Amino acid sequence: MKSKKKSIKIALTVFILLIGLASNFPFLFMISSSFKVSGEVMKFPWHLIPDNPTMMNFKALFTNGIYNFQKWYFNTVVMTALTIAIKIFFVSFTAYGFARIKFRGKDAIFLVLLSAMMIPGDIMIIPRYMIFKNLHILDSMWALILPSCVDVYFVFLLRQSFISIPDSISEAAKIDGCSHLKIYWKIIFPLAKPAIATMALFSFTWSWNDYMGPYLYISTMDKQMLSVGVKLFSSGLIQDYGAQMAAATVVLLPILVAFLFCQKFFIEGVASSGVKG
Amino acid sequence: MNKEKKPISKTKEKTSIAQKKEDRYGWLFISPYLIFFTVFTGIPFVIAIVMSFLNVKYITRLDNLKFVGLQNFIKIFTNKEILNSLLRTFQYSLVYVPVIMILGFVLAFMLNNGIYMKKAMRSLVFMPYVSNMVAVAVIFKVLLGNNSPMIIALRNMGFNPPLLLQSLKLALPTVAMISVWKSVGLNMVVYLGALQEVPSELLEAAQIDGATKWQRVRNIIIPMISPTTFFLLISSIIGSFQNFTCIQALTEGGPGQATTVMAVNIVRTAFTKYETSLASAMAFVMFVIVMIVTLIQWRGQKKWVNY
Repeated sequence: MKSKKKSIKIALTVFILLIGLASNFPFLFMISSSFKVSGEVMKFPWHLIPDNPTMMNFKALFTNGIYNFQKWYFNTVVMTALTIAIKIFFVSFTAYGFARIKFRGKDAIFLVLLSAMMIPGDIMIIPRYMIFKNLHILDSMWALILPSCVDVYFVFLLRQSFISIPDSISEAAKIDGCSHLKIYWKIIFPLAKPAIATMALFSFTWSWNDYMGPYLYISTMDKQMLSVGVKLFSSGLIQDYGAQMAAATVVLLPILVAFLFCQKFFIEGVASSGVKG
Repeated sequence: MNKEKKPISKTKEKTSIAQKKEDRYGWLFISPYLIFFTVFTGIPFVIAIVMSFLNVKYITRLDNLKFVGLQNFIKIFTNKEILNSLLRTFQYSLVYVPVIMILGFVLAFMLNNGIYMKKAMRSLVFMPYVSNMVAVAVIFKVLLGNNSPMIIALRNMGFNPPLLLQSLKLALPTVAMISVWKSVGLNMVVYLGALQEVPSELLEAAQIDGATKWQRVRNIIIPMISPTTFFLLISSIIGSFQNFTCIQALTEGGPGQATTVMAVNIVRTAFTKYETSLASAMAFVMFVIVMIVTLIQWRGQKKWVNY
């Protein structure tokens, strides 16, 4: 009975491993191909390890005269960093208000925010264009940064995690004469770091991967972001498979590495708080 | 009695001063957010609805506005091209939603059933979720394209594999499946969280009573995790309507019109055909559909969700 159970466990493990490997095969193919000369990418039979590994594709990516790839990369890094930095403070500050202050009208407003979560984003794209134009942030990265700071989802999740911090901790500080601002900054914010880290990581992936935003609201080539850039690049060099794979690699690598090092925050963040809504 | 009343009224007075202070602080904390929310979500939502009843053509030219009533909506439901794109959105959802729901559950169930290196496996399946759709599309276009080593391998084995992304019939389901591949990790992780909450005593008791494995899944696990199923179902349906990036990156709506779903059509109508009001009306129709789906689920939830 026990050995039967063990063999089932092994079989299941192998099975899941195969699914996992298959689902990550595109990434393996990409990384392997990015070190191949273009002719070798499509060579059959296929090798994981390139015959003659080369850095040529990466060099070409950042030195070619048509596409300003390094500028797109720089823009995306700055835009993502700004989004995360602003969001961490902006969203946690708001969540504190909803979680730890008992003011009148709170529940009604929170309900409005929650129901706004159900509005599909597609309906916003045209009016937002007009608003960005009137605020003079159209064709700048602020058109991507500012709307993504209004993230109801994370206001909701951080509120949950702030509520779960026992009242007694902030009560003591209150008796000592601490204001809400001080309690937020000195007590709640540090205690909620794991939840805030989860938010930072998800914001990183969402901003880094956003395609629709830059596609619709940014028109100047030099202000463009990587997602749009990599599409331009790959449709411009349609036969140069090695270069395309190198482009995909430099776009995907930061995010895959971030994931590998911070899986805990990604996955447990979702598993523990994702469903309570 | 009297003695008791006095302190109560005193504290009441006190709380009302304290309450005023709390109110001030509360608004201090939330008003910056509310301003941003109003500018980037509230006002756009109102504009979107108003615009779908107007005759705006070019997005930056707002002179000569006229109220046209339901004209835009009549156009949507009489224009074959738009109706077809709406139909394709449903076809896409019909592939995407059932597959991602079932696959997400099955994967979570297997992971939860005791395997080695559970966390590593979980991460492996979750990985595509964080990836960049456009970069992923570059890879898939090469992998599924004409000269790809996989296709050649299959040909050498005597098969005649179709070029999935270039086939009129298969492009839409293929795009939906790639989307499932990318997002199934999220469903799996959420399901995994729910499965771990199912009390093991309950399962053991059923096992002692002689319930088979299948009976335990059907009569205990599935009812116990029904709130999660409900949540995931709604978010998967809504997610399946928002497929612009995935389709634009993989096929740009082609071949022909084979993958031109509503999301793609809305952007096209607004930004290349310059029929802003019509596009707004199309987005509004999608919004209403999402609302209806949510309401039906909300009602149904009471019947089949067991807490």
